[in-house]
Amino acid sequence: GGKSTDDDDKEDKAAQSLLNKLIRNNLVNTTNQVEVLQKDPNSPLYSVKSFEELRLKPQLLQGVYGMGFNRPSKIQETALPMMLAEPPQNLIAQSQSGTGKTAAFVLAMLSHVDPNNKYPQCLCVSPTYELALQTGKVIEQMGKHYPEVQLVYAIRGNKLQRGMKLQEQIVIGTPGTMLDWCGKFKFIDPKKVKVFVLDEADVMIATQGHQDQSIRIQRMLPKNCQMLLFSATFEESVWNFAQRIVPDPNIIKLKREEETLDTIKQYYVLCNCKEEKFQALCNIYGAITIAQAMIFCHTRKTAGWLAGELSREGHQVALLSGEMQVEQRAAVIERFRDGKEKVLVTTNVCARGIDVEQVSVVINFDLPVDKDGNPDNETYLHRIGRTGRFGKRGLAINMVDSKMSMNILNRIQEHFNKKIEKLDTDDLDEIEKIAS
Amino acid sequence: PAAAAGAGSAAEASDGLFSPESKLTPEELNQFKAKRFTLGQIPLKPPPANMLMV
Amino acid sequence: QRKGLQNSAEDATLKWFKELQDSAARCTQSFEQLNSPKDAQTKKLKLELQKAATIPVSQIASNSGSQLREIFDKIDKLLSGRQVVSGGKSVSTSMHPQGLDFVGYKLAEKFVKQGEEEVASHHEAAFPIAVVASGVWELHPQVGDLILAHLHKKCPYAVPHYPPMKEGTPVEEYQRILGYRVDDSGVEGQDSFLKRMSGMIRLYAAIIQLRWPYGSKQAVAPHGLNHGWRWLAQMLNMEPLADITATLLFDFLEVCGNALMKQYQIQFWKLILLLKEEYFPRIEAVTSSGQMGSVIRLKQFLETSLQSRQISPPKGQLSSTFWRS
Ligand SMILES: Nc1ncnc2c1ncn2[C@@H]1O[C@H](COP(=O)(O)OP(=O)(O)O)[C@@H](O)[C@H]1O
Repeated sequence: GGKSTDDDDKEDKAAQSLLNKLIRNNLVNTTNQVEVLQKDPNSPLYSVKSFEELRLKPQLLQGVYGMGFNRPSKIQETALPMMLAEPPQNLIAQSQSGTGKTAAFVLAMLSHVDPNNKYPQCLCVSPTYELALQTGKVIEQMGKHYPEVQLVYAIRGNKLQRGMKLQEQIVIGTPGTMLDWCGKFKFIDPKKVKVFVLDEADVMIATQGHQDQSIRIQRMLPKNCQMLLFSATFEESVWNFAQRIVPDPNIIKLKREEETLDTIKQYYVLCNCKEEKFQALCNIYGAITIAQAMIFCHTRKTAGWLAGELSREGHQVALLSGEMQVEQRAAVIERFRDGKEKVLVTTNVCARGIDVEQVSVVINFDLPVDKDGNPDNETYLHRIGRTGRFGKRGLAINMVDSKMSMNILNRIQEHFNKKIEKLDTDDLDEIEKIAS
Repeated sequence: PAAAAGAGSAAEASDGLFSPESKLTPEELNQFKAKRFTLGQIPLKPPPANMLMV
Repeated sequence: QRKGLQNSAEDATLKWFKELQDSAARCTQSFEQLNSPKDAQTKKLKLELQKAATIPVSQIASNSGSQLREIFDKIDKLLSGRQVVSGGKSVSTSMHPQGLDFVGYKLAEKFVKQGEEEVASHHEAAFPIAVVASGVWELHPQVGDLILAHLHKKCPYAVPHYPPMKEGTPVEEYQRILGYRVDDSGVEGQDSFLKRMSGMIRLYAAIIQLRWPYGSKQAVAPHGLNHGWRWLAQMLNMEPLADITATLLFDFLEVCGNALMKQYQIQFWKLILLLKEEYFPRIEAVTSSGQMGSVIRLKQFLETSLQSRQISPPKGQLSSTFWRS
């Protein structure tokens, strides 16, 4: 480790976004209000509290409810009426990942398709092949009761015969291939496209060439094509790009929910060595019902050792480690999300950026420290903190095994001005109490 | 231990997968014989084994 | 003779519910000494016994049949008073006169909690947990009754029972009786509540249709599909509640509709027809516009089933190849 070039960061952004998508099976809680900037400030602003108000095609309403949704998310309340309005309106929307953007634009695409026309009408570009696949899955689920609408992936490796014309109404892919399919190969007639979606714009501009290719696709589309752009963050560069892609936009922003330690119960356990930490962990398992836990270790070696000990005790353990490729990490996360393994052991470095809000218990087997051995408060907060005041209650347990780590714990306490209670793991009743 | 004492009540009486006809009241039997159940009067005891086909 | 839908479950159902609660309460009294240990040694023993009971349940997964057998054997051994090794230490219930009652109680509680926490977010987890629970129930019926008691207490809809508001009960207390989590920050949200209730109903629906494949072949299932019939019939005889009834009927039917269809054939279809044509409109009548999700999911399920005259087997069911793995 150690070296962190720009390239690493770029690759990381797409990878992180993918891993976060894979681990998530729930909406992220938001309590902030959406900010809306309308192209025409005089037109009335609609927001909906239920999916029925959108007057969707019955097949699509069934699809939405079939996915287990009950009501629109915060961002969907405002974004959906705008995207479904006639005449179509352009939209730039920013909100953190997990707030329901993908579900929203998928619903918009499906609503605008005319299934009788057998040619591409909606194009959606994503930063990577894996991310495109995830969006494709959402289209398939939501369109489950609408089989007339077909989907095709414009991704490298998907080779089509020269001269053919696509019949599928929705095309989803990466910018390079999409551009080739519209321009060089003419599999798609861009003049007939009604909706253009650009997903994860912030990840997109971090990748060489994607920005250019996206703009070149956009230029081929007709003036009245609806342009939709989504991003999790909104720094200057994303904003500049967004304005080049989306003329006369409505703009929706949802401030990122601050991570807070308020909804979290934090504890520490005093041990003498790693074997004792492991014993304490077993006791915790005996007392509380943990659907899924994530355990963070400082080194790869400790992570490997701990995973081995847990497996020997009969636990189903997944190990996420630094030397794995993105696909391997994705596979591990997916198995964990599906409940095949219930404990995920990982190192501090390798889980950077992964959202653990889905996980009910976080255990710091080693406290997070930076390379100088000082407490890494930012990582601590990101790992333990939860968003949304009415979010799921969380539980965080820190293992302390030396004067030094006790000192780090104290400094973390001081930094956040939040007490971390001591927990006696030999008293199961006490542990049971903290979890209920 | 004491916990096993739940037996003996109606819900436990029909521990077979099917009810013997003799264990059903005339109303319950009528419900099983009819083409349709009457709202609010579905027997809680399972149907007799000989009334599963038309 | 009663007419139309009722406001509460039949007396016999309520009596059964009450008896199970009473005997569970008697059970906790019986191991009071071990549960509130006075000396360090008993405290240590309690810790080890509880771990021996609960950790195996938390390890149940759909990875392989052989792993499930190992877990089952561990639990069976513990309940049979034999030595088991847990965390490098060996314990047995014979080390304390109240050991067996205590372990049975904690085990039953753990099965239900696992349904509440895990099945709630991974529906398919219901099957491996249920098959182990069913096997334990068959060999150790006292644990089965305790599973029911815990389940009913956390999720009265599993009886099914819609607890009425009694005069003088504080609102918070009533919310708790209805199954909501209530703490300092208030009562939990409706979506989170429904999710947990779904988890427990799905676990119950899986238990009643599953047998431990290595149990005795002759004996009847300890708590079989006749209870599926009973549950469904009792639900449909009662006035529906908004959101809850539609959500739980769908959960239940998705998990054990296929098994009930095979078992009760024409009589089962009579239930489904009544549900679709007469009961469903009653659900719609109590549903307000923000609660349409569960209603549409149920409707979709009923229409597909009636049209195809089939109910698909549930996703995540354990196959015969699973047991060879
Ligand atoms: N209205 C909704 N109700 C419940 N869950 C939703 C809703 N909209 C989206 N979800 C779920 O929330 C998660 C995040 O949604 P997604 O659309 O992927 O967010 P984003 O694109 O902002 O990252 C997904 O698991 C999705 O199925």
